Amino acid sequence: MMTRTRYFVVASLLVLGVGVGSGLVAYYVGFPAGAFTRGDGPDELRFIPRDATVVAYADVADVMASEVRQKLHKAIPYEENGQREFQEQTGINIETDIDHLVACLNPDTSGSKQGAGMIVARGRFDEVKIEALMRQHGAHVEDYRSKRLVVADFSDHPTGFAVSFMEPGLVAVGSTNLVRTAIDLHQGGDNPQAGLASVTRNEELMNVVKTLESGNVWAVGRFDALASHANLPPGFAERLPAITWFSVSGHINGGIRGVIRAEARDDEAANNLRDVIRGFMALGKLQAGSNPQVQLMLQSLELGGQNKTVALSFVVPAEIFDAISTMAPKKRLPEKPEAEKKPGL
Amino acid sequence: MSAPRTSPTLFGSAARILDLSLGQMLWSRRSVFLGLLLGMPVLIAAAIRTIDLMYRSGIDVNGVRVQGATIFGLMIWGLYIRFIVPVLGVFYGTSLIADEVDDKTITYLFTRPIPRSAVLLGKYLAYLVCTVLLVLPSVMIVFFLIVPTAGGSIAAAFPSLLKDFGMLAVGLAAYGAVFALVGTRIKRPLIVGLVFAFGWEPAVLLFPGYLKRLTVAYYMQALVTHDMPQDSAVSLLMQVFREVPSVATSLVALTVIVVAAVWAAGRAVEQKEYVLEQ
Repeated sequence: MMTRTRYFVVASLLVLGVGVGSGLVAYYVGFPAGAFTRGDGPDELRFIPRDATVVAYADVADVMASEVRQKLHKAIPYEENGQREFQEQTGINIETDIDHLVACLNPDTSGSKQGAGMIVARGRFDEVKIEALMRQHGAHVEDYRSKRLVVADFSDHPTGFAVSFMEPGLVAVGSTNLVRTAIDLHQGGDNPQAGLASVTRNEELMNVVKTLESGNVWAVGRFDALASHANLPPGFAERLPAITWFSVSGHINGGIRGVIRAEARDDEAANNLRDVIRGFMALGKLQAGSNPQVQLMLQSLELGGQNKTVALSFVVPAEIFDAISTMAPKKRLPEKPEAEKKPGL
Repeated sequence: MSAPRTSPTLFGSAARILDLSLGQMLWSRRSVFLGLLLGMPVLIAAAIRTIDLMYRSGIDVNGVRVQGATIFGLMIWGLYIRFIVPVLGVFYGTSLIADEVDDKTITYLFTRPIPRSAVLLGKYLAYLVCTVLLVLPSVMIVFFLIVPTAGGSIAAAFPSLLKDFGMLAVGLAAYGAVFALVGTRIKRPLIVGLVFAFGWEPAVLLFPGYLKRLTVAYYMQALVTHDMPQDSAVSLLMQVFREVPSVATSLVALTVIVVAAVWAAGRAVEQKEYVLEQ
């Protein structure tokens, strides 16, 4: 063998050896976070407790300014009840006050089966007005770690509902216990030894979060934990696919582009789930008929993922929302009294 | 008094031919083409990684970041399985004996006191060593560049890399053996090889029926751990009529293809009279 051939063989085997060695070390020991990747996610994740079963993010300003939102608002000009109720209770206008938010659902320590939820939102908030409005609705103010905690007691939730402005432009709204934990995390940061850790310490969840960053709305959660807390009909839970993690990510602008990802228990469960989805996709394509918008949407469906991961990407084209606006009944909000229209009279 | 000389065995002779041919194969003009072919995925991977590091934009499908492992799977399917492995098999496999005939150097090999089939076997092994030592490091570099993008985990994807190595080595062996047979039996082996690899195989895989069992790709796809890409109408059709044999069946079938094709190629070299054009 010529010397240069020998060098080539040695170099090639060296590359393979180093690569396989590094891979084996990564597989058995694990590289420290950041060795190969840049870990991120919204900054507000630092205030979400580690045991969150669902974490969601929405770039509210982006979504509210999107064409889809404008079209839907024109097509269905009713005031959203939830949005109005939230504003009445808290004084926060979701449409104008919030830039982006992170929401979470955690197991409730008080034993409630429905779990506890919290929203950490960044935006522009009139703290005095919001506190006054909540006090009008029977809320009281507590002092917690030098932060004002506005607590409203609801009969349907044992731990109550609280709002706290953790820093200018950052509000935590939700179950009182979770808001308290958010304040703890804001004040002291992660302290796993003391039993206080944010969701950023949940490596499994954060690995999923990192893949969702390009969407302006996303959610990730433990499917099995959710299913066990849901009031499902008897026998239904056993028939659900064996999914551990799920995630939904989307980009809302002219239309909606997104991907639904599920992490199955094993490769076999993933293959079964893929087969089921393929079946539904085929059925959908048969049922689409001659509707070009629906056909376009169904054509955009793409099934992917590997090993235990099943991913379904989709596009809801802008034309669908145009079609909705033509189909929606032209019912308007009740007319305002004449006197309100002409304040000068 | 010296001991009587014994004629070298088939495998001993093949090892000598392997030693001789490996250098020739590596430092030939064809290797420039091989280098370009295998450099392409590495350059693509480096570009994607650079974009990911500099702009953190990665690759989006429908507005959603695609994980590094998924991109790696797409590259394995689209570049290595569907293109690089068959191309290497065609270009190197068909030329194992044909090059010696064209260069009129086959006589020097055939006048050695070794079985003729050892020449074919040695050259086939040289092809295998040469391509495996070039393709696997290329895949390894692509893996380490691509998988960490968009939060991908090296540790999670590593077992599938080892399976990819095995699958690619088996694929190179099978395609090389088939095209070595084509090269020893048929007059214009390159054209026939290209038609087989890029005409017959993709076409037959599109339709239901038994014909697809007469391809290497049919058995290879069972060894691939990544999802088949659905990037075109042809891919979708392949997905619909995809009938995947079990891993054990595929391994047995590919072993039979390799052994039978190399044996038949060896027989052809033993029996054929090569007339060198003046």
